[in-house]
Amino acid sequence: MYGDDGFTIFDLQLWAEGLGISAWVFITSSILGLLFGVLIGLIRYYRISVLGKILMLISEFLKNSPVLVQLFLVYFGIPALLMIDLSPVEAAIITLSGNTAAFIAVIVISSIDAIDKKQLEAARSFAMSEWQILKLIIYPQSLAFAMPMLVGLAINQLQVTSLVSVIGVVDLTRVGDIVNLRTFEPFIVWPVIGATYFVLAKMIGIAGSKLENRFNRYKRVTNI
Amino acid sequence: MIEIKDLHKNFDDLEVLKGVDLTIRPAEVISILGGSGSGKSTMLRCINGLEEISSGSVVVDGLDVTKKDELKAVRKKCATVFQQFDLYPHLKVIENITLAPVQVLGVSKTDATNKARALLESVGLGDKADVYPAQLSGGQKQRVGICRALAVGPDYILLDEVTSSLDPEMTAEVLEILKNLANDGMTMISVTHEIEFAREISNRIVFLDQGKILCDLPTADFFSADGGMADPRIAKFLSKMGTGS
Repeated sequence: MYGDDGFTIFDLQLWAEGLGISAWVFITSSILGLLFGVLIGLIRYYRISVLGKILMLISEFLKNSPVLVQLFLVYFGIPALLMIDLSPVEAAIITLSGNTAAFIAVIVISSIDAIDKKQLEAARSFAMSEWQILKLIIYPQSLAFAMPMLVGLAINQLQVTSLVSVIGVVDLTRVGDIVNLRTFEPFIVWPVIGATYFVLAKMIGIAGSKLENRFNRYKRVTNI
Repeated sequence: MIEIKDLHKNFDDLEVLKGVDLTIRPAEVISILGGSGSGKSTMLRCINGLEEISSGSVVVDGLDVTKKDELKAVRKKCATVFQQFDLYPHLKVIENITLAPVQVLGVSKTDATNKARALLESVGLGDKADVYPAQLSGGQKQRVGICRALAVGPDYILLDEVTSSLDPEMTAEVLEILKNLANDGMTMISVTHEIEFAREISNRIVFLDQGKILCDLPTADFFSADGGMADPRIAKFLSKMGTGS
């Protein structure tokens, strides 16, 4: 059934599998990155011991070095260091989660900084706890502020997932590579792969701007 | 009763309060006057623990503000109205008012909302419950600020230069509401530049100068020629503010 050239129905299946892997790597690393990033940002904001400083130092490294280098470091470094097996997908998720977390931490800190601190003092004066203040006052306002940055980051990190193909993850890009090598149709394969990423990115963008509108409702009222 | 004894407050090397003694009894309305940097706002902020005190004591109805567990109880008794309103911009007017009653006092949302609507009605903002603070004028924001303070059913209201950010017309509408509150017997401590307002609503006037109480007199005595006005520093302050005779 596999011809030397020409596309088959299996290419479509391969494409769907690649898409699944890309989406899986993207979604899990985004969720983990969000969790850790928020945690790092909050630890830094509340100035919890030296931990905040150490975590920020690590974030600086992750933000300012190539993802590909980080990927190699994790994929080849961690198994050697910890004497464990690490699949390419696991290495990809660990790397991208860390990288995403580093950017999220910065977004969290700057979004909290953007809030007028005097209203937090007002809330304190009404005997609200720090947790209530974080949940009911800081969180909704900083989320509204952070939303455009988060959407931008998500779209960027989606494209970055294509790097994981170099350590052998059969993601969308790797699928493109495989099919292209077999069919020698680069002007069909790569536009299709590119368009797939484009559609995914657009979906994130559209969902993001819907959320953005919802969280920013209070800002768009007319002043008198 | 609020008892302030030998209160000192330093910001690093700067000593802002240099031993303040003051007792505020229920139903008293006290205005704290003084020039910029006299420490009057700082003193107010020490009462509900927004500033940590350096030494001395502040005790509200037997509760020590320097003790963490007692501070929370103090804050439930004292509600503050702020100079810059400091409303929560992401919440509608009604939610601004119900937030503390629901979250801190455990009042049901329905009860808190009903009370908030009644309060808004009483300050002439019955139609503004469902707008955001950004849609209000300064005077309206401050009236919401007053409702927010009243909603927690405080024993004491702390007013921190509540009219300083308002133009004269808006000032008048806010002062009218506060005057009614004073008449209803609310205990209030007001830091202000509005000499006439202080004169109208206060039982007592405390004049702060360079971190110390220069005088603490019943209002009538404060403005009489042989009372507070006898002190050249107070006479000078009042003449600069364009009142006093």
